[in-house]
Formats: sequence, structure tokens, C-alpha cells
Amino acid sequence: MIVSWDWLKQYVALDMTPAELAERLMMAGLNHEDTHQVGDDWAIHLEVTSNRPDCLGHIGIAREISVLWDRPLKLPAASPPQIAASVNDLTQVRVDNPRQCMRYTARVIRGAKVGPSPRWLINRLATVGIGAINNVVDITNYVLLECGQPLHAFDLAKLAGRRILVRQARDRETFRAINHKSYALDPSTCVIADAERAVALGGVMGGAETEVSGQTKELLIESAEFDPLSIRNTARKLSLHSDSSYRFERGTDPQGVDWASRRACELILELAGGELASGVIDVGRQPPEREAITLRFAQLPRVLGIDVESGVARRILAALGNHELRADDRRVEVIPPSWRRDLTREIDLIEEVARIHGYDKIPEDAGVPMATSHRTATDRVLAKVRQALNAAGFDEAMTPSLIEEPWSDAFSPWTRSAPLRTSMPVLRRADCLRRSLVPSMLGARQTNESLANPLIELFEIANVYLPRDGGQLPGEELMVGLTGGGDYFAVKGVIEGLLAALNPAVELDVRSTRQELLDAQRSAELRVQAGATRDLLLGYLGQVTSAGLKRFELRGETTVAELRLAALSEIANLIPQYTQPPMFPSVARDLNLVVDECVRWSEVAHTVRRTAVPFAEAIAFQDVYRDPQRLGPGKKSLLFTLTLRSPEGTLTNDEADQIRSRVVEACRAAHGAQLRA
Amino acid sequence: MALAEFLAELETLQAAARQSLAAAADTDALEAARVEFLGAKSGRLKTVQKQLGSIAGPDKPAAGKRFNDVKTAVEAELAAAQERIERAAEQVTSAAPFDPSLPGPRPRLGHLHPLTQTIEELKDIMGRLGFTVASGPEIEDERHNFEALNIPASHPARDPLENFYLTSAGVATGEPLLLRSQTSTVQIRVMENTPPPVRVISLGRVYRPDTADATHYPMFHQIEGLLVDRQVTMADLKSVLRLFARSFLGGDVHIRFRPSFFPFTEPSVEVDMSWHDTHQGGAIRWIEMGGAGMVDPNVLRAVGYDPEQVTGFAFGIGVERVCARRHGVTDIREFYRNDVRFLHQF
Repeated sequence: MIVSWDWLKQYVALDMTPAELAERLMMAGLNHEDTHQVGDDWAIHLEVTSNRPDCLGHIGIAREISVLWDRPLKLPAASPPQIAASVNDLTQVRVDNPRQCMRYTARVIRGAKVGPSPRWLINRLATVGIGAINNVVDITNYVLLECGQPLHAFDLAKLAGRRILVRQARDRETFRAINHKSYALDPSTCVIADAERAVALGGVMGGAETEVSGQTKELLIESAEFDPLSIRNTARKLSLHSDSSYRFERGTDPQGVDWASRRACELILELAGGELASGVIDVGRQPPEREAITLRFAQLPRVLGIDVESGVARRILAALGNHELRADDRRVEVIPPSWRRDLTREIDLIEEVARIHGYDKIPEDAGVPMATSHRTATDRVLAKVRQALNAAGFDEAMTPSLIEEPWSDAFSPWTRSAPLRTSMPVLRRADCLRRSLVPSMLGARQTNESLANPLIELFEIANVYLPRDGGQLPGEELMVGLTGGGDYFAVKGVIEGLLAALNPAVELDVRSTRQELLDAQRSAELRVQAGATRDLLLGYLGQVTSAGLKRFELRGETTVAELRLAALSEIANLIPQYTQPPMFPSVARDLNLVVDECVRWSEVAHTVRRTAVPFAEAIAFQDVYRDPQRLGPGKKSLLFTLTLRSPEGTLTNDEADQIRSRVVEACRAAHGAQLRA
Repeated sequence: MALAEFLAELETLQAAARQSLAAAADTDALEAARVEFLGAKSGRLKTVQKQLGSIAGPDKPAAGKRFNDVKTAVEAELAAAQERIERAAEQVTSAAPFDPSLPGPRPRLGHLHPLTQTIEELKDIMGRLGFTVASGPEIEDERHNFEALNIPASHPARDPLENFYLTSAGVATGEPLLLRSQTSTVQIRVMENTPPPVRVISLGRVYRPDTADATHYPMFHQIEGLLVDRQVTMADLKSVLRLFARSFLGGDVHIRFRPSFFPFTEPSVEVDMSWHDTHQGGAIRWIEMGGAGMVDPNVLRAVGYDPEQVTGFAFGIGVERVCARRHGVTDIREFYRNDVRFLHQF
């Protein structure tokens, strides 16, 4: 809302500077955007919140000023002289859709001389950014900006049948607006019609065919009240937003309908001459009675934390236009003004008192009682995960939750259901709620590759969104996504390190998986054991295939992984319990076992650990060695170091060798392993 | 003795000292040179110093100053020659040459995203003020995103074009679902399941249709605090926000409320924080912090609380804005590009 300094002065004395005015209004709820000079006038741009349509006119702003500076508010009388002829003999109005148009009033002026407006009127409109057209149209704009009630003037002679019919538009009915564009309508739109056709989009814009021109002799002045939702739908559907629709969408003052009509007629008679027919055609509901609101004075300190004297509160409410019905030392009962539809409850009155009294009166050093808070288990786990991944050289990324369909299709290990989608894309083409973080990680990788960044090691912790059958809300699950420039083992090692940071006792288990994006061999489903029995799905890991790299426009190799935070939380040991480390020295034995290719390291390691209990402190894999000539075809040798330690005493060489022999024997029995000399 | 003569002698002496010290190849040669020039009893400098007494009175200060300069210079050259000879000796005795200025193998440490760092700091501060973290879904129903928050169907915020609604396919119940437009939804869920008192912060991703530019992104992070109890007032709100701001910014920070409008709070305010800018002669600068207010009685009723028994306050802060201002990031889209060179600055 842009207000003119010169214009405001008509209603309230302004003996402050424009800067002082803007500052005080800002502290009372009208944010100041800027002030600039237009000719001899100041244009002050104020931001009006959606609950305060009363401030979408100069009088509304002037009223705030009059309350804040305790100055009288002077309003025009709006009582134009009338001639004997009755408006009812000159035109008729019928409203067929009272839910869209609650009230419609019409006045008629004959013999007005349409021409240019006087300088003062042109200047005031120019200050607020409105161009002058002719005196009648300028006056309707002026009154809209004066009181916030939109008006429209029709050339009565051009209305077929000299009558107004307010109705729903017919399907595919066309309409030419005063902006000289044509619109195809449907029955959701409220139109003002004459006997034949739509002549205005009710509350949005007038029509070209009945607009007031130099030839106009008879005027029909419309002042009406339209349903905010209906106006909003029409304005949006047609992309046609006007000063009028803006105000009707927010709700106009029901009592202002007639005042604005009289005010416009008064100005037309004054500036364009002519005669006003007596009376008004007023169709539809009259303004509803406002219900009284009681403010209990004790509620002011209860909500605001400060005492406000009851006299001060009553004075503020009265100055804002509330009509006081009764008051005692405990409460005041008021009828709120018609232009303040936002005032319906006690809390609304409390806000008014606080706003005018001043929020600067509220102290900022109250003794708020202390309370305990606790860090959630999830936050503790997240902190450990982030720390471990940072230490492993991975940077944390943040990517949008929605991705485009080809990315979404590329990888979805958690669900086979189609992704959830938004009805419009959140970012360019991105309308799929992601079912996996991996596509986004590859996208971030691509960004970095295109910038020639040499090392790209990224992780992200965020939700994936999983459609659910029959449930209420879709599933949301926190995942840890990873992309690294190393091979399968490089990222697997990072995951092993992460698990060890959360719980050193947990072992990672791999199973084969089939994911189109990932290399068939160098990929795995990851599992962990929680407790003795629970076998948990942790996630997926794999090197991206060359087709997959191409799909994400990547040149360099990458390995990706995605882990369920829920599984990490379940295995995390947040309060580890102390066990005393054995005091005696350890001994190490190197082993070199030849096994069939089909035997996995994890199986051998498991057998070794089980056999060497409780002495096996560490089983460190060293190397795998293949040589068909020396080992035979389909064979491999596994080199590893077994570290042994006893809690009861120093292990002798003999004891260590015995354990080693037991291990070799167990591996022979379980896996057909042969000790290689 | 004439001044000119004295100065010429000093000149000759300095040149000779420089030459001898530079030529010294070992500690013995160096010691010989030291004795010759700087020897306490009969070094050549000592000899020259004795001649100072015979300089005419007015010329004495200039002669004395020059003598001291030369002495200092010769001493410095002696020290440099000493170090040169010692270093050479080391090179000979140790097995391999060693350059301690070579870089060490630096471990690559990953960096946390700046938004995470900001969120963690905000959480940490609020935690110290007694607020526990609560979380809730990003995909919400209309009850939690609108109705319980006192946003009726006629409110402009309900417009389908102002929100990211999900398409009906995939939504099992057929009920309209949308991406939450504020984290206040979490407050509703907490209050529905917890009797007062409640003191929580909720944070996470929220979604609003906006064209991405330097200051807007259709997805961003919000942090919201909620305190509901008996006798909670706006003075408490202002005081908690001041503690928060002082903790976050440090120094003498104040809080300013400007009236505003949010459906779920009444009274509603915009919150500014200030500090005395020492760079600008102690001028007060106000910076927008976020929105806040007293929980609307309709919201309290919607979750089954009695507004006659309890009151509460709520506030919300946009994380991207705070983080961008803190670190001087001028384009918030950078937060979601994940350029490693960007991430490594934090």
C-alpha cells in the first residue's frame, strides 16, 4: 500500500517528519518499505499484513496515525444532494448468486460531464502510482484508495435493458475487460451482466464495452461486496489481479459499501456536475451485527507479562473504533468496528492494546524458569556418524529432497513402489520425492567433476520417502548416502570404520545384491548383527557401472553406499562399559591358508575367531594370492596375522603354536584349507 | 685526530672484517677472526675506539655513532658466519640432508555442511535454555499443516499453488497430503501427545513454492521453539530470545518486537536483534531474526489444551538466512550445490 503524505493530511494532522511517521507505523505493524518524493508529495510504501485490509486505504492508515499520536480523525461527510427522481425508476438490479455476491448497491447520476480530473486529484493518484483516465474513473480509483472499497462506474446507456444482473458466468462465455483482453469464463466466475452479456468480472475488473467515456451521459455507480474465495479463484484462474480483487480477497468493510458509493457520488457531483437520483438500490444481506467481545484486564499481564492500566486499554480500544458497551474495574465489553473483521476474540483485543501501547514496554530480562533438556539418541548417533565420516575425509553435502524422474528411476533399493510426486515440480523438473539419496549424491559428484575438483568424497544424511500401503502417512527414513572416488574396498573400509566408531563389537556382513546401477560383483547388501540374534539390513554398497556413470554424466569411477540410520542407531553403543584390557603381552602368528576360490574371507575369519576364543585379539587380513601353477587352478591363498593374548598370563611360544595348529585344523575341517609352507 | 680520518679507518676496518669472516671455513678460523677484530683487549675495534678520545668535541657524537654502527654490523656478521659454519658441520655429521620446511602428509579431514554447523549451534544454545529437540514428518496432512494451526480453508496460505501437494497416486488414504510449509506441524504433534508443560524445538526441511534465486530456495530449513506452561508471557518470549541472541552473537544484544501476523500466534511479532556496532561509532543495528508470538488460543484448543489454564510462545528462525549472514554467503543456492571448495571453507 502506497500512501500519499499530502492525501493523509486531509484526515489527520501530520506534524512529524515522514521518517518519524514511518518509524512509528512500523512499530505498530505497518512495515516501512521505502519513502520517495513525487513532485511536492511523499509516497510512503507500507507493507500491510493480510489480516489488516482496513489499512488498504488512506483513511485506515490515517486512523492508525490518529490513534498513535492521539490526534482527531476528520472524515468526509459523503452526503451528496439528491434530486427527486428515484433510482428505482432508472435501473434495476438482480443478484442470482448471493453466495458469490453478498450485496450489490447501485446509484445513478445523470448529466455529469466526463472530462479530465483537476490537478490535485491527478497529483494524488500519481503519488500512489495510478495514471489518470477521466474524472469519473479517477474518482472511483480515488475512493478505492481512500477507504479500501472498490467501486465501478458503468455507462448506464450502454447496459442492455438498462439493468444489472449478477450471476455465474455461462460456460465458455467470453468477456472483454477494460484492459482490452478477452477472457473465456466458466460458471465458477461471478459476472456482472446486463440483459444480454457479461459487462464486468464482479470485484475483479470492468468491461470495455460499458466503460465510461467522453460520450457518457448517465452513470451507474456500483458498490458491492463479493466473496473473498470466489474473487481469489477468478483472479488466479484468469491471472487477472487488480487493486479491486486484492481488496476483496482480503475482505472489505461491510459498512463501507454505502459510504463509498455516496462518497464517489459526492465527488462526481462536485467535479463533473450532474444530478444524483434519489435513493439507492441495495440488494442482498445487510452488514451482520457484530458480536460483543469482553476483555478481562487481568488477561493483559497474563499474556503480555506487563501491567497495562485499564484506562489506557479502554482508551486504545475506543480510539481504534471499538464501541464500548460497558466496563467495570475487571473488564470492558466492546463491539468492534465493522472495518476490523480480524477482531473477534479477547486475544485480538489484547494484541491491539499491546501493539498500540508498544512492545518496547515488554521487558527482555524476565526470569524464565530453568528446565532440563536432553539430547536425543538420534542426535547422539548422528554426531558420531558425522564425526567418523569427516575423519575419513568425507565432506557433508545437502541436496534437495526432490529429484527428476530419470534420476529417481536410476536407483531404488528400498522400495519397488513408484515414487511419491508433487503436483508441480519443486525445482526444474524435480517432482519425485527421492526414494534413495544415491542419485542426489551422484548429481553432487557431477557438479564437482564439472568444476574439476580433484577429490570428491561426499556424504549426506537425509530422509528418503517411501510410499506405504494402507498406512496413514508415507514412510520417511533417515539414510546416510556416500559417494567416494575409491573402489569398493575403499568405501567398505570407511563403513567398517564407521561401525567400529559406533560399536567395536559389531561385524559387517555382506550378501550379494542385484542393483542395475552397481557392478554385479563389486556390490553388496550390507547387514549387521544387533545383539545375539537380530540380523539387520544396514544398506547397499557398490561400484557404479560404466552405464551408470554415463547416466549421471560422470567421467571418473565412483563407489556409492546408502545406510539406514535406524540400523546404525540400533547397533550404536552410546554408553560403552569398561572392561580391563589384559595386562600381558601379545604374540602374533602369520598364517597362509590355501582355499578354494568359492571360500570367502569372512567365513575363514569367522572360523579362526571361533576357534581361537578367548585368545584371538585381532585377525588382520594381509593379502590374497593367486597362482594356478603353484596353488592349482581355482585356488587362492589367504595371508593374515593372528594376534593372540591371554587374560591370565603371558602366552608361551608353545601355547601360541598350539592355538595356531587348532586354527589350521579347524579351517581344514570347515573350508578344506591347507597350510602353505 | 680529524673526523674524516677516523671514519676512513672505520671503513677499512669493516671491509677487512667482512672479508675475514666470510673467508673463515671452520670454527678455528672464525675464532681467529673474532679475536682479531672484536677481541676485548687488543681487537682492532678496541684500538679504534681508543682514538675516539682524540676527536674534537663537536665531532664526537657523529664519530661515536658511526663507531657503534660498525661494531654492531661486525658482530652480526660474526653471528651469521657462526651459523653457516655450524649448519655445514651438521650436514657433514648427519647421514641424510634434512629440510624441516617440507610439508607433512596432511590427513584429509572432511567438513560438515555450514547449515549443519549452524543448526547444531542453534540446537546447542536452545538445549542449554531447556529446549529438547522434537521431530516430525516432512509429508503432512492438512490437519497438522493448516487446521490445527488456525489456518482455515479460506486462508490464502491454503492455496494449492502456494504449497507442494502430493499427487493422489501413491497416497494410500486418498486424503490430501503436502510437503510441510513450516515446522510448526511438529509442535502440533508434540502437543497432541504430551500434556503441558512443553519446551521443545523442532527443525528440519520445509517447502514453499518460490523461484530459486540468491535469497530464495523452494526448500529451506527452519528451527522453531515452543514453550507452553502456566504463566508464560510475552516477556518470557522476549527474554528467551535475548538469551538466545546473546549466546549466538555474543555481546550486548537486544530484542525488538514489531507487530506482525501469523495465523498460529496472537499476538504475533517480527523479531529484530541489535547490537552496538563498534565499527560504526556504537550505532545500533537491527537485524531481522524471525517471527514469533504467543500461541493462538485456537491452536491450544485444537490440541486439547485449555487456554484458560496455559499460555505459550513460539518462534521460528530461517536457518539459511542466519547461516548466510553469519558466514557472508551471498547466494543461498550455494548451500545446495555442494561444491567441495565451498564446503571446505567452513
